[in-house]
Amino acid sequence: MHSMLLLGDLGSFFNGLANGIISWQFLQFVVAFLSFFGFVLTSATILVLAERKVIAWMQDRIGPYHTGPGGSLQSVADVVKLLLKEDIHAGNTDKGLFLFAPAVFLAPVIAAFAVLPFSPYIGLPGSALATGIVYLVAMSSLDVVGVVMAGWASNNKYSLIGGLRSAAQMISYELPLVLALIGVIMLTSVLDPHGSGVGTISVKGVMGFQMSTLYPGKGIPFWDFIFEGFTPWSWFFLVQPLMLIIYYTCGLAETNRPPFDLPEAESELVAGYLTEYSGMRWAMFFLGEYGNMTIVSAIATMLFLGGWSGPGVAFLTGLNSLGWGFLGNMLALGYFVAKVYGLCFVFIWVRATLPRLRSDQLMQYAWLILIPTTLINILVTGALYLILNAFGFSNLIFLIVLGVINWIMLYFFIRIVGRATVATTRRAQAPAMRARQRAIALELPGRSAAPQLPEPTSTNADIVASAQ
Amino acid sequence: MVTNQNPGVRPGLGESPDGLKSQEMLLNLGPQHPSTHGVLRLVMTLEGETVVNCTPVIGYLHRGIEKILENRTVMAGIRYLDNCDYLSPMLNEAAYAGAVEQLMGIEPPRRAQYIRLLTCELQRIASHLVGIGTYLLDLGASTPVLWAFRDREGILSLFEALGGSRFNVNYMRVGGVLHDFPKGWLDECSAFLDQLEKNMAEMEGLITGNEIFEARTQGVGYIDQQQAIAYGLTGPMLRASGVNWDLRVNRPYGSYREVPVNVVVRQEGDCFARYKVRIDEIYESIRLCRVAIDKMPGGAICTRTPIALRPPRGETYFAIESSKGELGIYFISDGSEYPWRAKVRGPSFVNLQILPELLRGHKMSDVIAIMGSTDIVLGEVDR
Repeated sequence: MHSMLLLGDLGSFFNGLANGIISWQFLQFVVAFLSFFGFVLTSATILVLAERKVIAWMQDRIGPYHTGPGGSLQSVADVVKLLLKEDIHAGNTDKGLFLFAPAVFLAPVIAAFAVLPFSPYIGLPGSALATGIVYLVAMSSLDVVGVVMAGWASNNKYSLIGGLRSAAQMISYELPLVLALIGVIMLTSVLDPHGSGVGTISVKGVMGFQMSTLYPGKGIPFWDFIFEGFTPWSWFFLVQPLMLIIYYTCGLAETNRPPFDLPEAESELVAGYLTEYSGMRWAMFFLGEYGNMTIVSAIATMLFLGGWSGPGVAFLTGLNSLGWGFLGNMLALGYFVAKVYGLCFVFIWVRATLPRLRSDQLMQYAWLILIPTTLINILVTGALYLILNAFGFSNLIFLIVLGVINWIMLYFFIRIVGRATVATTRRAQAPAMRARQRAIALELPGRSAAPQLPEPTSTNADIVASAQ
Repeated sequence: MVTNQNPGVRPGLGESPDGLKSQEMLLNLGPQHPSTHGVLRLVMTLEGETVVNCTPVIGYLHRGIEKILENRTVMAGIRYLDNCDYLSPMLNEAAYAGAVEQLMGIEPPRRAQYIRLLTCELQRIASHLVGIGTYLLDLGASTPVLWAFRDREGILSLFEALGGSRFNVNYMRVGGVLHDFPKGWLDECSAFLDQLEKNMAEMEGLITGNEIFEARTQGVGYIDQQQAIAYGLTGPMLRASGVNWDLRVNRPYGSYREVPVNVVVRQEGDCFARYKVRIDEIYESIRLCRVAIDKMPGGAICTRTPIALRPPRGETYFAIESSKGELGIYFISDGSEYPWRAKVRGPSFVNLQILPELLRGHKMSDVIAIMGSTDIVLGEVDR
């Protein structure tokens, strides 16, 4: 009796499972998942090629141009080579950690895309997650685990040092990254139309607050088409530009991109955590890095640049027809990808331009400069809102005043950091100079006089005189 | 961003105040390394991250050039000097030819001396471009090296038109130079100098005011004035420490007796000062090239000398201001066509000797910055 009941339960269980799998929802999920997976990895390979071409263009050269028309198939050739490469395992490594580390590095990057809406209707179910921003920050924190695993499992003391240094760098820059985002999230609590004053940390929500209903020509279809949903004056980068810059800089440090690429540098002495990896495992680390670049750009786009909003999107999707809605979604996807790749271009641009920071300078920059700045910004935002609200000013006034103050802060941030750098190095030179002079005086007791140059047989005056 | 040099550090097993002994680590910055600018090997003793001692090991590029010179006639031997400081061949050749001329009492014609000045200054620009470009590459900026090499291509094309070969030109002869300018060469040279000034402004705009570059090079690798003289440094390393000594002014030779040179001197003595001296020397060399083009006299380009040159018995020392410093040739002749001894005083060899003293107390990340700023060429060190 019992066994027959059990069998029946089992049967109905499998029946239900089969019904679930062979259903539209599951198919939708699989398609969406595969396309996102494909998007991330394809985007990473495209970025590899784009980086080489863009950096070559900035350096007055061409970049890869043999494989495919204009070099466009270079990434394909790279992937094929890496797949066919011999998978070298160093001896005596911690096998499990060694093999698992690239996956641990790559997985959070792909997982982070789950909460990003690519357009009003294109997005994994996770994009409705109410705690989207916390999820994104958590995913970027998981990368550190992969790095430490790689450094430890390589059985190479230099890799270990490099891995730990990289982990320290990534952890240090997490804090200003999150604090920069808090400045933006504070704005959503102000702009909340229901007046609950709590705001939102879902990505869709923050993006939604950047689409205001105030635009010129409301009611006229042409202007409706362009401006409905696309109000660049309410994008948060105008209100808090300093936070965009700081978030972007922390993103550079999180992804180990120049000028923070000390762990990956080949001309530095200590080998990085990547030394023992070859072939596809190394490629997974790099796909993770470029994927991370895309994630940072995507988050910056969502929170500061209005996400997928652009002329025509909200109008077309508001028409409630299948064809126009599809066109609107495609437009939104196009705008989103354009903005993300624009920010990735800035990543590449920064790589071509700047030299590397030393590791202690890197740490000082994070702890002594970025964290105080972001904390001050949070303070200023909150204080300004309280003051202006007490005087009864509207939210619009608050945003404008905050924007002005933030742009002024940005200007002074750039000036002061530059001056502080120069001043501290010059001032710091003096004790070293004095110490060296003292050392010389102590070390050379036998010398009665300091060494002298030989007598010059002529000076410029003689030369000029003799040439007359 | 403070400098983190600890100059009071001395070699020996370190003992911290609570009796813990720390062990020193021997790190080999091997002959093959992207930033040693050649096959230089540095055996460093590290205590944690601080360099306590450093021993340069050289000889990986020794080719026996001085011995070879003893078995070649002077004219055949000039080409070996190209391989000494392989980044400034024209300057090396001018030194060797000048030494033999000094021994024989030959004065090259005025046109030859001005041609030598022009080509040597162009070579100095090329050498400094490589030095600056590779220095920035070591520090992590990949763009300036490509711009510097693009400008250097202009100089190398000019040399190719002039002497037949881009790099090791074998152009100087005892008594003058080998070829005269081809038609239109001087105009091309002027046009190149104009373009170079614009490109240098672009490159300086990228590097000189850059806070990251300044933070990595200011206050790092300080050389005191007295120390520089004591170690026998010459060239940009000496002039960046506040010593006004340039052989083109203080011991003039060739056309430098008629063309004054504005010596570039800086007082700070750190890596940034050395970089800035090289940049300003490029501008000064551009100016000197223009002066030479303007004042180019007519006439012969070489004194007639026999092919198998027999310098009289005797010895002489002749030094020029090369891009790295004082490049001297000590030439001993026994009256035959083969030199008895031709010793090359390579400025990089002497400049290298301050490296242990200079690196002591610095952290590892500063080692790269300091080594790049000394701009040593191993061909000159090892010969």
